Amino acid sequence: MILQVQDVEKSFGGIKALEGVSLGVEENTIVGLIGPNGSGKTTLINVISGFLKVDTGRVYFEGKDISSLLPFEIARLGICRTFQLTRIFRGLTVLENMLISSNMQKEGLWQLFFNRKKMILQEKVDERAAYEILEFLEINHLKHEYAHSLSGGQQKLLSLGMALMADPGIVLLDEPVAGVNPTLANKIFEKVKLEKKKRTFLVVEHNIDILMDFCDMIYVMNKGKIVASGKPEEIQGNETVIDVYLGG
Amino acid sequence: MIFDYLLDTLIYIGIYAILAISLNLEAGYTRLMNFGKVAFFAIGAYTSTLLSIAGMPFIVGLIGGIILSALLGLLIALPTLRLRADYLAIVTLASGEILRLFFLNEQWLTDGPMGIRGIPQPMYTVFEDNYIIFYALLVYGILLICYIFAEKLINSPFGRTLKAIRDDEDAVQVFGKNTFNLKIKVFVISSCMASISGTLFAHYLAYISPDMFFPSLTFSVWTMMVIGGTANNMGVIMGAVMIQVFERGTRFLKDFVSLPVEPYNLRIIIIGLLLILFILYRPDGMIKEKKSKGRL
Ligand SMILES: Nc1ncnc2c1ncn2[C@@H]1O[C@H](COP(=O)(O)OP(=O)(O)OP(=O)(O)O)[C@@H](O)[C@H]1O
Ligand SMILES: [Mg+2]
Repeated sequence: MILQVQDVEKSFGGIKALEGVSLGVEENTIVGLIGPNGSGKTTLINVISGFLKVDTGRVYFEGKDISSLLPFEIARLGICRTFQLTRIFRGLTVLENMLISSNMQKEGLWQLFFNRKKMILQEKVDERAAYEILEFLEINHLKHEYAHSLSGGQQKLLSLGMALMADPGIVLLDEPVAGVNPTLANKIFEKVKLEKKKRTFLVVEHNIDILMDFCDMIYVMNKGKIVASGKPEEIQGNETVIDVYLGG
Repeated sequence: MIFDYLLDTLIYIGIYAILAISLNLEAGYTRLMNFGKVAFFAIGAYTSTLLSIAGMPFIVGLIGGIILSALLGLLIALPTLRLRADYLAIVTLASGEILRLFFLNEQWLTDGPMGIRGIPQPMYTVFEDNYIIFYALLVYGILLICYIFAEKLINSPFGRTLKAIRDDEDAVQVFGKNTFNLKIKVFVISSCMASISGTLFAHYLAYISPDMFFPSLTFSVWTMMVIGGTANNMGVIMGAVMIQVFERGTRFLKDFVSLPVEPYNLRIIIIGLLLILFILYRPDGMIKEKKSKGRL
């Protein structure tokens, strides 16, 4: 297990957003997380990535307890996430967005004035890596455009590209294809699948059909709890799941 | 005479341009709302003045001001930069006023409202006859260094991450960046640069008093940045030129036309109006932020 969530509870005032949530993610798999609106999926991603602190419970990454770390510390361990409402750096170009995501280039001031050679060398390496990923996502032609001028779908692709650029052990994707046309959605998941040999994915998604095709394992949430889990074919016929989605 | 007046104008422009570039680093590129810019300017002015009066050379005063400004910058940044953005604005605004009142009331140190006269001018005996020319060269030499430094700083991974923080600080952390640390760095660097500007100001006038350091100075520098071109170093220099020329131009106005309001007040009204018009209709200022082509 690369990622383990253990008995996590999280409340907002009176609302229990997460109630005794436990789950495990195997290395080099794509794990899906589904559930109706407000069931706690985004809250879980926020807890894992350190944007929210757990009330009780623990999160382990590669065996290390990360529940009390800050977001940037968690990121440095190799966990990268995207946001449900795409968040990119609007005032930077596509290429700059990609370069920000690289964890190889440091912001040090010393190198900036006294070791420029090293800095520029790293920049070139990063640029090449960025072009490769942009090519892979088929948005390389937009590299010098401002990120805010991209369409919604292109922005989703860019934020996926940024997550890949960070070269993390696990990527947490919060609805990476919401509002994206089905053809592009399929394409995005094809890309994710190709990346599986390099890293692990935990994907929040409403479209069950897509998850059935691409996931190795699916967790179903409802009202802050995990109500079912299993391989796609096990989930498909599961009574509780059908209930949650159709009956509530 | 005309020549001296021209040089005098140029020197003021140079001094304000340094201050505007320093504000641009923190507020323009990083959106750290420093509404107490005058505090760091005043520290530079008073520290180097007091050190020079005590017999230290100019360079010691300059560096002393930089060190004290860095310390004040840290003191303000450490508790506030973790909090919501507006706290920095409030704390800096207050710091500027507190510092001015300190200089006003601690008479043993600053002579209070009387101010300090006879501040030694660097290399005065060497350039006595053409001192203003020497001083203009000194100011523009330092402005050039500050400009190049700021450009290098911004066109780098450091600067790129600052701009990303401006857009969405939380999202930057997703990529393992310690944004708190980076914000402190740029705030302290800007504070040091503002101090240099204050030092140049004090030694040029050879006289300072607390009433030179009202919050309106901060307001003036913000105007230079917004009108000139936020997040464009050349733009904010142009902003400094515009505001200075405007302020000086209107000083003569009252000799030629009779105005219904006090000319000084009219000037502030017009600058305020200009600021609003720019924010509404030309938020990028006269010169837009440069688009990076990804080459350092
Ligand atoms: N910051 C917050 N403050 C207060 N309540 C919150 C906060 N974040 C989430 N909630 C509440 O917690 C519950 C779970 O929300 P969450 O966003 O995790 O659901 P979700 O499964 O991601 O839903 P969706 O499919 O709509 O994205 C909801 O009732 C929501 O209103
Ligand atoms: Mg959600």
